[in-house]
Amino acid sequence: MNGLALQALSALVGLAGGLAVGSGFVAFITVLDLIPRLAQIAGTRNSAPLEGAVVAGVLFFTAADLWRAEFGLFAAAAAAVGLMCGVFVGMLAAALTEVLNVFPILAKRLRLQEQIHWLLMAMVLGKVAGSLFDWLVFQRL
Amino acid sequence: MAERAPTVYIRLRKRVKMDRGQPILLKHVAQIIADPPWEEAIRNLELARPRQKDGSYVLIDMMLIVGKLKRLIPRVTIEHFGEPHTIVELRTGTRPAGFLLLALVWILLFVGSGMAIMNFHADVSMSRVHMRLYEMITGIRDEHPLVLQIPYSLGIGAGMILFFNRLFRKKFNEEPTPMEVEMFMYEESVHQFVVTDEYEKMLERAERQDRQGEREDRREGREDRRKEREEP
Repeated sequence: MNGLALQALSALVGLAGGLAVGSGFVAFITVLDLIPRLAQIAGTRNSAPLEGAVVAGVLFFTAADLWRAEFGLFAAAAAAVGLMCGVFVGMLAAALTEVLNVFPILAKRLRLQEQIHWLLMAMVLGKVAGSLFDWLVFQRL
Repeated sequence: MAERAPTVYIRLRKRVKMDRGQPILLKHVAQIIADPPWEEAIRNLELARPRQKDGSYVLIDMMLIVGKLKRLIPRVTIEHFGEPHTIVELRTGTRPAGFLLLALVWILLFVGSGMAIMNFHADVSMSRVHMRLYEMITGIRDEHPLVLQIPYSLGIGAGMILFFNRLFRKKFNEEPTPMEVEMFMYEESVHQFVVTDEYEKMLERAERQDRQGEREDRREGREDRRKEREEP
């Protein structure tokens, strides 16, 4: 009886934690305006399917992780998934308002408005190089 | 004056960039329609003469323009459209930033963002996530799943470019990029700040003059009372 009560309590704690994390995730994505941006690129005004994709992805990978699913696919599939993970993280990094607020001020202060695309490219290449360095060198020391 | 009073139509520009050192004339800050005999004089009406110590922004207010125009042509009728004020941005020696500065900032951003992404990976235990993901997909346990990690790294660059809409610009649609919107919002905020700030300064100046007047009144009042006390 005591054990059942404890289990019910931990289920409640788990549900509460999941609610907090899930709403936090959605809040984060919303603040970054990522979904409207992707809808714009996809050429649609309707962002509902994309929101559905986010929720489905979260649920699917939570379940797959929980049940220790294994798909036994080729390494090429891992490369495709890795590429998509990278694009998503790249969009997150680009969308961080922090990044966006720095550029206008930096460009104006240094009178580099004309060359702002060079600064953007510096950032993009820096991220790629940093990430490659991390995996190829730093993590294997 | 038998002559009919002239009407002047004025539409102020929102923001004007000018070189420092020359006086600000009405034609710099506004579109003007006026009757020919007056037009030249009105267009070349001097509004302000910014000095070196004045900041890099000068606010030209419609009230100032009305005052100056009334002084030029006392019976003038002014029809005014659009913004109630113009912001004049004074440029000092418009030297574009040098190549060296650009190179320096470029390297700063390159190294900094590289370090930031490594920090992010450590923060979220990205290597463990990659390991788990690789195991999920292929069933092989690998401490360094480079097959996943190298495309991931290239993907970061692709995602950022996608977001900033650089390579494919104009292909998707005519909407501005987030960077363009952000630049616009920043300039708009500065604009708003300057307007509020300059008006506040104007108000302060007026108040100080008022207070000075009041203090003189009070002093006179005190002296009157003292005299009254001394007299009887």
